[in-house]
Amino acid sequence: MRKKLLILPLFFFLLIVLIFYYLLIIERNPYELPSNLLNKDVPLFETESLLKEEKFISDKEFKKEITLVNFFATWCKPCQDEHMYIKRFANDKGLKIIGINYKDNSEKAILWLKKLGNPYATVAVDKNGRIGIDWGVYGIPETFIVNSKGIIKYRHVGPITKTEYEKISLLINEVK
Amino acid sequence: MITKDFILIKVFIITIIILLAQTCKNNCLAVEPDEILQNQEQESRARYISKNIRCMVCQNQSIDDSSAILAKDLRILIRNKIKEGYTNDEIFTFLTERYGDFILLKPPFKLSTLALWSLPFIFFLIGIFVVFKHNKNSIRS
Repeated sequence: MRKKLLILPLFFFLLIVLIFYYLLIIERNPYELPSNLLNKDVPLFETESLLKEEKFISDKEFKKEITLVNFFATWCKPCQDEHMYIKRFANDKGLKIIGINYKDNSEKAILWLKKLGNPYATVAVDKNGRIGIDWGVYGIPETFIVNSKGIIKYRHVGPITKTEYEKISLLINEVK
Repeated sequence: MITKDFILIKVFIITIIILLAQTCKNNCLAVEPDEILQNQEQESRARYISKNIRCMVCQNQSIDDSSAILAKDLRILIRNKIKEGYTNDEIFTFLTERYGDFILLKPPFKLSTLALWSLPFIFFLIGIFVVFKHNKNSIRS
């Protein structure tokens, strides 16, 4: 009986090795964290619009159709890289996209959109990053899917790549 | 005589090390002068909260240590909330509502973290049991 018990430490050790090995080989980006706002209402906020004279009021913008919310800035290079996909969401998929210009210079942002094209229905100005904090933003670019009831269904941290573009394209059909 | 000098040098080196460690304790933080609150009690509360909040950008640092832009924004936000009269718990809740439990450097005790918190104690009890059993057996033989 005692001899048989001696095998236990070895068994536990192998189990731990197996768990570590599994965690090593699975494809996982530790930087990508699930949003705590999933399945919750869009945060309420009011701010200036970048391109229009009127105020940006979040209450008026959501709850009508599926909307993408994209945090971007001119100082963020990956934002430039993903811009072609944001434009494709607007042009090919006909999605409403709200841009949030995060901690940026407004004049530069206007020029940036003129140069690269403007896929956004409206652009809200987040001068000091306070709106970003309410959305749990920690590394722009970040993109959220908000369904037609104004509930956040998905968050992606980092630039939108081809795979991510396809993933979001599929998801939009599901979250309706 | 030589041994006495040797001891003196030893004491001297240890003192310097302790002093260096102290300066680091006071200066090696990312809090910038313009952020610090005038009210000392409020400032120490802000420091306590900041030390327990993870910097989401650098992930293994607290926002008190980090010079990331977001860390600075959160430090200022925490100080503003303190000035507005929020309690420590209210500020922690405010942040976890937005960023999730991951923003707390110490995981909270709840059902999903039950194993995390209780396993060390369980292993400790198993250890005591094994040692006790082993001792009893060795005395017998």
